[in-house]
Amino acid sequence: MSRPSGKLRRRLRQTLTIARRDFTATVFTPIFLLFLFAPVIMGSFGAIGGLGAASVSAGSAEKERLVAIAAPREADALVAADKQLRPIFPGEIAPPMLEVRPPSGDSSQQARAALNTPDVDVVAVMSGPLEAPCILFGPSARDARYLAAVSEQARRIAAAGPLAPSRPVFTRTARDKPTLGGRNAAAFAAVFGIFFLTLFLSGQVVGTMAEERNNKVIEVLAAAVPLESVFLGKLLGMFGVAVLFVGFWGLVASQIGMLLPAGADLAGMVPAVGFGTFALLFAGYFTTAYLLLGSVFLGIGAQASTMREIQMLSLPITILQVAMFGLASAAASNPGTTLATVAEIFPLSSPFAMAGRAANSAALWPHLAALAWQMLWVAIFITVGARLFRRGVLQSGSPAGAWKKLLGKAAKVSSNLPG
Amino acid sequence: MTDEAPPVITATGLVKRFGGRPVVSGVDLVVPQGMIYGVLGPNGAGKTTTLRMLLGIIEPDSGERTLLGHRHPRDASDRVGYLPEERGLYPAMKAREAIAFMGALRGLPWKEGRARAQQLLENTGLGHAADEKIRKLSKGMAQLVQLLGSVVHQPDLLVLDEPFSGLDPVNQERLEALILGERDRGATVLFSTHVMAHAQRLCDRLAIIAGGRRRFEGTVAEARGTLPQQVHYVPHFPNDDLARHLPPDARRDGDGWRFELPHDGIEALLKRLIDAGYGISGLSIERPGLHEAFVRIVGQAALEQAA
Repeated sequence: MSRPSGKLRRRLRQTLTIARRDFTATVFTPIFLLFLFAPVIMGSFGAIGGLGAASVSAGSAEKERLVAIAAPREADALVAADKQLRPIFPGEIAPPMLEVRPPSGDSSQQARAALNTPDVDVVAVMSGPLEAPCILFGPSARDARYLAAVSEQARRIAAAGPLAPSRPVFTRTARDKPTLGGRNAAAFAAVFGIFFLTLFLSGQVVGTMAEERNNKVIEVLAAAVPLESVFLGKLLGMFGVAVLFVGFWGLVASQIGMLLPAGADLAGMVPAVGFGTFALLFAGYFTTAYLLLGSVFLGIGAQASTMREIQMLSLPITILQVAMFGLASAAASNPGTTLATVAEIFPLSSPFAMAGRAANSAALWPHLAALAWQMLWVAIFITVGARLFRRGVLQSGSPAGAWKKLLGKAAKVSSNLPG
Repeated sequence: MTDEAPPVITATGLVKRFGGRPVVSGVDLVVPQGMIYGVLGPNGAGKTTTLRMLLGIIEPDSGERTLLGHRHPRDASDRVGYLPEERGLYPAMKAREAIAFMGALRGLPWKEGRARAQQLLENTGLGHAADEKIRKLSKGMAQLVQLLGSVVHQPDLLVLDEPFSGLDPVNQERLEALILGERDRGATVLFSTHVMAHAQRLCDRLAIIAGGRRRFEGTVAEARGTLPQQVHYVPHFPNDDLARHLPPDARRDGDGWRFELPHDGIEALLKRLIDAGYGISGLSIERPGLHEAFVRIVGQAALEQAA
């Protein structure tokens, strides 16, 4: 019979043996990396969302203008006044750039026309004499008040003695066309909306083939139906689930929207193609985004045979989606650039970027071409996925081995369908 | 069945390798219409891979095959029923729905499929399980449900991969009856097995595959005919010297001896035994069973491969 201290040592050794196994079994797996870096992934989500929003916001601010319609003799005084007052409002609270335009014809008509100047967003326009300026402004009264202050300061610069206060007339007015900033915001909202929906929904496709592999139904399906049809059927089935999800939450969101304060000004966010067409294109691009990402995820996920392997796929899938979102949101903030064109052509970012384009550009034919282009790639991804599955899973060929090697596993070829 | 009817399946030189390892090395097969045709072979002989190639689930590396007259097996998939070796059903599906689903995969309308499924379940004594989920059925019952799913669309060709595996004797009898019923309906049945008793009872023709090649093709009788007839002789007055008078391959079998029928017949040998005073208590000349023929054919294949 062993002594009590020996018994204790033995118990301790047994306990540590169990602890060692559990520790190594948890830590020395790729899943642990996912767990370890989860905060980074979550942080990157926030950062990318913030950067996108900031990019849209910065882009919008750069395009805003204040316009003063003034005779040349007043123009110099206005510019000088602006120079004196502007330092009072540093950084983010700085007013938009001041542009002085000479009067031509009816000043009130000129002022109204100035509000709709193309390529820039004119937020306030001042016309008339400096003693009693007429100031038209859009959503922000702050910009109008700044123009009034500039006018008052210009009078002081020009005058030798004391002056009676000016009597500005402020008129809030609705714009005849949406703002560029509003369109950029609509574009970003479209990109983010599709990203948000596909992030939650398309990733669910990854594990669907594993169900058939685990319960051995796959051979029944493969014998009766072409694998391409199996893949497409599963994709469409899951898309139906996604549509149901979106429909339910869309209905909830629409009811919440009705609770928003009355008079919320969305006029500046009218997409270039109009709300109706934009809604249709949004639905179309959500569909193609889902089918594109879903077909890629389905093809990749079909190579995985266990839940563990499927969990391991979460990380690359999330990274891919975030990367496509980043590319498309950059395109939404910089329409017409090479970057935007790349994002619109690259198949996986195309639906996001084209949804953004719908907010920024009125041309419709690129959308028809893009939808056809994207559906072509859905067909390609499904065909390739089915072929890889046929070769890698049904025939124990090399692709599955390569996949497992890629995941750092032994080059053991596992197949649910032994020969 | 008519002699003029085109074969349901033809295969010429089918070859399949997995990772460079040959699994099927040139199988030729002709399955006539309206027959029960057995594909026999030991474990790992390449039976399942051959069936998968015939059905178009996987493509052969070389060789050609036709299924119901189609060069592309998929073109005939609605006329084929298939029970794979590894049984698989959706566990959450009800039995009737599972059968109808398998019919729908082969082009049978759902409504018709459900009606036929109910009828099939009742005919096989499983009517009570129609609304049970698959996960609640026993393994044997689930296997029968899957089998019913493979015949619900009344296929012209029924392919069964090791159909008897995992079934108890009662369900094996049910399955045999179902296979015979399918043939009587006019369907061709192709099934693989390594259990000779089923093959001997059911098959009109059979092929024996071993080492990835077809080693025999013919009827059960022809397979049995590949071995010489066996003589079972029981002497009336046995003693230790008897073996000297018997052929060299003679071996004890109970009270008597067993040996191959001599090429020149049994008469001369019997005369010698009677003259030597051993007499005859019992004598029979038997045709060897399919089991013996299978063991011999597969054994020869193994020797060839080893050489």
